[in-house]
Amino acid sequence: MENLLITAQERSPHVDFNFATGLLTIAGESYPDDASKVFGPIFEALDSYLAEVQPLPIRLEIELVYFNSSSAKALMNMFKRLDQAAIAGQKIDVYWRFAAEDETMREFGEDFSEDLSALAFHLVETDGK
Amino acid sequence: MLAARYQAFKSMMDEQGIIFSFSGYLSEGVLYSLGEALRHKMTLEETDVTTVKKVFSVFVEQSQNIIRYSADKVSGSAEQGVELSSGMVTIGREDGHFYIVCANSMRSEQVDRLRTRLETLRNMDKDEIKAYYREQLREAPEDSSRGGTIGLIEIARRASAPIEFDFQPIDSETEFFCLRVSI
Repeated sequence: MENLLITAQERSPHVDFNFATGLLTIAGESYPDDASKVFGPIFEALDSYLAEVQPLPIRLEIELVYFNSSSAKALMNMFKRLDQAAIAGQKIDVYWRFAAEDETMREFGEDFSEDLSALAFHLVETDGK
Repeated sequence: MLAARYQAFKSMMDEQGIIFSFSGYLSEGVLYSLGEALRHKMTLEETDVTTVKKVFSVFVEQSQNIIRYSADKVSGSAEQGVELSSGMVTIGREDGHFYIVCANSMRSEQVDRLRTRLETLRNMDKDEIKAYYREQLREAPEDSSRGGTIGLIEIARRASAPIEFDFQPIDSETEFFCLRVSI
């Protein structure tokens, strides 16, 4: 299977999914009008990864500094989907990284992590830039 | 004459604390450039990070609502995904707060639905808005809205005072809509 690598554009984030290690990184900003442009390829890659015979644990590193509401909705869909996989036995860790002074991103992390049952969602404060 | 006319126009805007105002056809590209200029300006003025983010977020959601819902729209399939929508976005400062106003024409038949949504949000307190946001985040998307509901909640959530809005009939099929948010 091929890795997924998308470089950041004006309104879309850097995305890197390494199938050999199970590490998926999403970083930067996401505010396209249509969030499926950004998240469609990620969903497809996750689905094919999870369809593998014995996928490695997934480590999802998210370091977004800003995203719009339709991206928020897409992120929630992604976490719900991953939570289902985690309930079915797949090990998944999400690291939600945000700058210590960034109350907005901290709050979003709390919004997302609520009601996830099997997915390990870690809020990680960073020093910022 | 010419200078006097436009100086008057410029000072009228300056008196209202306007940082910038855009009127015309908005596209995703225009949104990006205006947004960059806005963040730059606020950062140079040493506005705190959280305020910059709130203003920027409301600006993006309001502009994307114009792009999606303006009744005066030119879209072409020749160049992929070109969508130009007529509207107005104004950002300014007043009494130590930033404010963002967006306005556009919309189809009259959609007014009641939008008015009901905005009234619901205006009558909610901070905690209710936050709970409503979390609830809508988990809802399946509505077919016709292209994500409009969650966008309005995001706008209300960033506001420091209840949102203000108004509608004015243009003709039998369209109304002028305007939304003002203070941060």
